[in-house]
Amino acid sequence: MKRRNLSLAVGAILAVLAILFPYLLPKFQLRMLNEIIILTLFAMTWKMLLNEGGMFSFGHAAYFGLGAYGSVLGWIHIKGLSFMSGVLLGGLLAGLVGLILGAFLVRMSGTYFALLTFAFNQLIWAIAWKWRDVTGGDDGLGKFPKPDLLGISMKDPANFYYVSVIIIGICLFICWYFIKTPLGNVVMSIKSNEERAKFIGFNVNASKMIFLTILGFFAGISGALFAQFQEFISTTTIDMGMSTNVLFMAFIGGIGYFWGPVIGSGIFVYLSEYLSSFTDRWEFFFGLIFVSIVIFAPQGLMGIIRTKK
Amino acid sequence: MGSVVSTFVIQGLHGLAYGMLLFLVASGLTLVFGMMNVLNIAHVSFYMLGAYFSYQMLNMVGNFWVGLVVCPILVGILGILLERFLLRRVHAGGHVQEFVIGFGILFVVNESVKWIWGTADLPVPIPQALSGSVMIMGIVYPTYRLFILFFSLAVLGFLAYILMKTRLGITVRAAVSDRDMVSALGTNTPFVFMLVMGIGSWLAGLAGVIAGPFINTYPGMALDILVDCFVVTVSGGLGSLLGAVVASFIIGELSSFGILFIPRFAIVFPFLFMAVVLIIKPSGLFGEKA
Repeated sequence: MKRRNLSLAVGAILAVLAILFPYLLPKFQLRMLNEIIILTLFAMTWKMLLNEGGMFSFGHAAYFGLGAYGSVLGWIHIKGLSFMSGVLLGGLLAGLVGLILGAFLVRMSGTYFALLTFAFNQLIWAIAWKWRDVTGGDDGLGKFPKPDLLGISMKDPANFYYVSVIIIGICLFICWYFIKTPLGNVVMSIKSNEERAKFIGFNVNASKMIFLTILGFFAGISGALFAQFQEFISTTTIDMGMSTNVLFMAFIGGIGYFWGPVIGSGIFVYLSEYLSSFTDRWEFFFGLIFVSIVIFAPQGLMGIIRTKK
Repeated sequence: MGSVVSTFVIQGLHGLAYGMLLFLVASGLTLVFGMMNVLNIAHVSFYMLGAYFSYQMLNMVGNFWVGLVVCPILVGILGILLERFLLRRVHAGGHVQEFVIGFGILFVVNESVKWIWGTADLPVPIPQALSGSVMIMGIVYPTYRLFILFFSLAVLGFLAYILMKTRLGITVRAAVSDRDMVSALGTNTPFVFMLVMGIGSWLAGLAGVIAGPFINTYPGMALDILVDCFVVTVSGGLGSLLGAVVASFIIGELSSFGILFIPRFAIVFPFLFMAVVLIIKPSGLFGEKA
């Protein structure tokens, strides 16, 4: 009971703070916070794939990037496409591709799974890079419409922040809830023992495919919001670097914990911002952090916090 | 007609040379994976270090051949150190952690190289003896590429000899198929791992040294070859040396002829090839376990 009260109190304080942030924080801080919130969902999908589903993806940027490209192309080419429909379009495209790729991916395990996700990611990245007429290649796509949502202008950073908090919050809740559903339990049982799950009579491949589709959808939503956040997309949303970033975010926070991706994406955004402001070689420090996390805190920062308690 | 044929031959040779280079890097990666079940991403940073060491050596000593002997050995020692002090510590954590730590090391090496040698391309001149060109089917072809071809073939032969004919090779092959059993029979497997890691890094370093005059020395070279290297090891079958040879050739020729016919989408072919192979045969062309 006590723990529950404590977490409720923390949750309430966080909620109040979240509402007040646009008034409390300077503009660039709010922007960073917004980026963290959007990337949290992306990191969460990756973390769930590994921690709950036991699948190590090295091509997660494919879904993120497809969400970004799908929604942006929708906003550009479909006249009067609303904000939410655009975001959903991105998510659906990523989810659809997640389903198609999932059909091939579910037969793999371990390193082979990781490498096939990598191959698919590279394939999609190469298409996005070379299909210049549609995607703009490495020049990217900018100047796409930013439609209002229910008459509220999304061009105002505070409004956009509130909307992303709400959308991401709902998505995170669904992710969290999904694990509690029977299907979520099946996915977790597959992770702990695939043979047994099969033997009991669960359709292992179908469950995994649904899981991949759902996670692809949410990663796509995150990508679509990210596109509106940046007001510009290029192949960096879909390349190997983005797949590495999500790995970093999830790992540094701790893949075994629900709050891991939240903390991880926070640290990622702040670190990349501050490190890159004083050195060009900031990736060097990222590498060092990677190595030390794996050696000294394989369960990430959340792991450190939890074991101290 | 003659010119068409010779274009094909030249392009084919070119693909072969690049394929051989790929093979040198990928063979180390696949050997290490076969033995230790570790996909060591940091492997490609050894390739890059080989190239940069060779550049440095060329500036200090002024002789390419000294670099060709010394640099790969230095890189091999680094590989052994990496295995002993980092990879071994996280081995119990499973392949995800090994994957991540490899990435961290790749980042660190990549950026250190930029710190030490700068971000610009460093030209490595072709050694005097190989700077000329030969006539093949009426077309001038640089000798150095032929050198890459024959040198890599020699290394391939050397590798095959070690694996098939020596005691170390027998141990390695046995450890690939059943590590625990070899260990139980009294072989010091950690030591053999270290040795294999050393040989693998040595091969990558060697590839780096000969790649210098061929495709220049630049900070992105590790990431560039990483992608092709993945494609080769995976589609050939992780842990299979024969698979690495075949897949290297295929990827080399695919990139070479892809640029000739469909320059715009040439970059897509290797990934398409890899995806198709994995979909049809999940363990790769010559892989055994999936």
